[in-house]
Amino acid sequence: MLRYIIKRVISAIITIWFIMTLTFILMKAIPGDPFASEKMADPVIIENIKAKYGLDKPLIEQYGKYLYDYAHGDFGISYMKKGLTTNGIISAGFPYSLRIGIWASVMVLALGIFFGIIAALRQNKIVDRVLMILATLGATIPSFVFATGFLFVFSKILGWVPSFGVDNWKGYIGPVVVSALFSLAYVVRLMRTSTLDVLSQDYIRTARAKGLPEWRVLGKHVMRNAILPVVTYIGPMFAALITGSFVVEKVFGIPGIGNLFTNSILNRDYTLIMGITVFFAVILVICILVVDILYVLIDPRIKYQ
Amino acid sequence: MKDESMKISPELWEPLEQEEKDAEKIERPSLTFLQDGWRRLRSNWVAMFSMVVILLITVGAIVIPWFWPYTYKQQNLDLANVPASMETYPLSNGKNVYVTPQYTLIVMDSKGNLEGLAESGRKDMIGKKNYYTVDGVDLCVDYSLYSAATAEYRSLEKKADAAGTDMVETSDADYLVNYFEQRGDVVPEQISLEEAYNILENKMERVVVTAGGEKLTETVRLRNHTYLLGTDGLGRDLFIRIVYGARISLLVGFFAAFINFVVGVFYGAIAGYLGGEVDNIMMRVIDILDSIPMTLYVILIMVVVGPGLVSIILALGLTFWVKMARIVRGQVLTLKQQEFVKAAIVTGADTKRIIVKHLIPNMMGPIMVNIAMQIPSAIFNEAFLSFVGLGISAPMASWGTLCNDALAGIYVYPYQMVFPAIAISVTILTFNLFSDGLRDAFDPKQRK
Repeated sequence: MLRYIIKRVISAIITIWFIMTLTFILMKAIPGDPFASEKMADPVIIENIKAKYGLDKPLIEQYGKYLYDYAHGDFGISYMKKGLTTNGIISAGFPYSLRIGIWASVMVLALGIFFGIIAALRQNKIVDRVLMILATLGATIPSFVFATGFLFVFSKILGWVPSFGVDNWKGYIGPVVVSALFSLAYVVRLMRTSTLDVLSQDYIRTARAKGLPEWRVLGKHVMRNAILPVVTYIGPMFAALITGSFVVEKVFGIPGIGNLFTNSILNRDYTLIMGITVFFAVILVICILVVDILYVLIDPRIKYQ
Repeated sequence: MKDESMKISPELWEPLEQEEKDAEKIERPSLTFLQDGWRRLRSNWVAMFSMVVILLITVGAIVIPWFWPYTYKQQNLDLANVPASMETYPLSNGKNVYVTPQYTLIVMDSKGNLEGLAESGRKDMIGKKNYYTVDGVDLCVDYSLYSAATAEYRSLEKKADAAGTDMVETSDADYLVNYFEQRGDVVPEQISLEEAYNILENKMERVVVTAGGEKLTETVRLRNHTYLLGTDGLGRDLFIRIVYGARISLLVGFFAAFINFVVGVFYGAIAGYLGGEVDNIMMRVIDILDSIPMTLYVILIMVVVGPGLVSIILALGLTFWVKMARIVRGQVLTLKQQEFVKAAIVTGADTKRIIVKHLIPNMMGPIMVNIAMQIPSAIFNEAFLSFVGLGISAPMASWGTLCNDALAGIYVYPYQMVFPAIAISVTILTFNLFSDGLRDAFDPKQRK
């Protein structure tokens, strides 16, 4: 088990290193430098600024410094937001996205697993049909349409939630529901399929034949096996949800990290783009790693390879 | 000694009846794989209906701009933000006028053909009245009541906030008293703040229009005959912009399908067929491409190439074939063990021929199904990127940018959001339903 974990951690580190290198190359490949547009005619000033950000050194040295700094958790200084560090900007925006992401994940898992099982147990009955139609619609309506629709109904017409910002808990309802929707639709389908699969297995018939009460059959035999495909999905989903959705943060006016990332791209703030890209990649890789290890613990059939 | 039972009776040698001969014959024509799948697909009415809708959208997107009187960038600032259907006041001279949220007047004939903005006369900012002349009829748009009521509501809100309650005194605001008295109800002493807001926004008359001193009460709901779905904030025809959006979405979708077919299929087939170290390296490349989240990847390419249709297509082209390559590789790994491949090798077919002539035709089911699934996903991505501001740039329109443009005025002009939103949702839904049907018909094993 320990060997498996060590092996996975090493491959995760290699992946992160690769993404960092790729980001670095992409950023350096962009024609023009970020200070070209600024109205500083004096070449001495431009030289000084370049020296400040270490841009006057040869590429390989910049790369070395970049890797060294990032390994020490220092993501550099923002080009565009004067006097702010990337670390500071990220830690200001991330808590909002994290809070929304955690609640959305809880909602997806709780409702998704529950409705998935319900739909499978009532296969081809009216409940199943309705749930499947809703799941199809959920995967069809783009989040920005759903987000604005939500605001229009609950904020403009009913006035239940604020239309902007997250000053109180009510402000979180919209972002959480909207971010959860797409994954929720997927998890319901996934859970339904795998539950149907498991229900037709011999060991379920055996469990029923030996007279186990139905709730034990469902809780112990069906659930434990049917939940496995959902577990694999949790990693990428959780990573995607906590790194914030641009759309949700834009529509609901949340100063989260997704919004930050889009703005940094629109502003061509290269250090910030690199910092957030690597930050996202690290989160994704860690989430997948944790879920993979969990998976082995949940499903003893999988060998540590 | 001869056993009687061994003897063959002579009637067994008689010729068969024609009918019995035919019993063994295969009556139905033999169907190829594609014909068989098509037969199953045709009996699935949801999929067939979706296919018809997709075809209609495609044909419409190609054909409509040829004869439509407007182009996607033709502006008419006088007729900005005119909805598709509106409450108008009929005038005595046969014209109808529509009061915009800015208290200007749009003149049209009684069928709904827009004629333009009413000639502006005096604007009385203090008395909150605007005066206009339409073909000799003097009109006055009086918004003082609503304006005063809004001010009253603001003070109610402040008072309630200071007192820490949700209830407000009705007698504090004249508009509330008037509202209840006009309805002939007893005026309640207190109502909730929400109710007060509701009365202000939804129950009150916003404007009083008078013609020659007489108040106009009768209103007629007219369809906008000049602009089918109304106009956007710059007075551009919303309908044609949605049609151009469909062009872009479909272009992106079909390009994604093309890339999937060309790159994904061949990459996967080569990796799977050659196997060994080549396979290992090719799959590691895919793993790395895949470990970067899709949106991040697209966005990074945007930074290099700059926003626009070309960069979206480029970004999709670089990343959208990964899933297909995986699926094809998996299929090839099982297919290449089968006898027909061995037979082809023995007869001297080279690798290229085996992949193109033997392996790919045998995987058409999963390939088609996967392509059909990737198209809506690509359309989704394009809409999302354009919405965020990284996609199509002005004055070109895509469904994502249309929704984004509508976002700012969503409370006042919701129709500008509703129509593009319906267009996206219907397109993605029909593509999804069609690909579900295709999967059931061609690849039943994948059914979920």
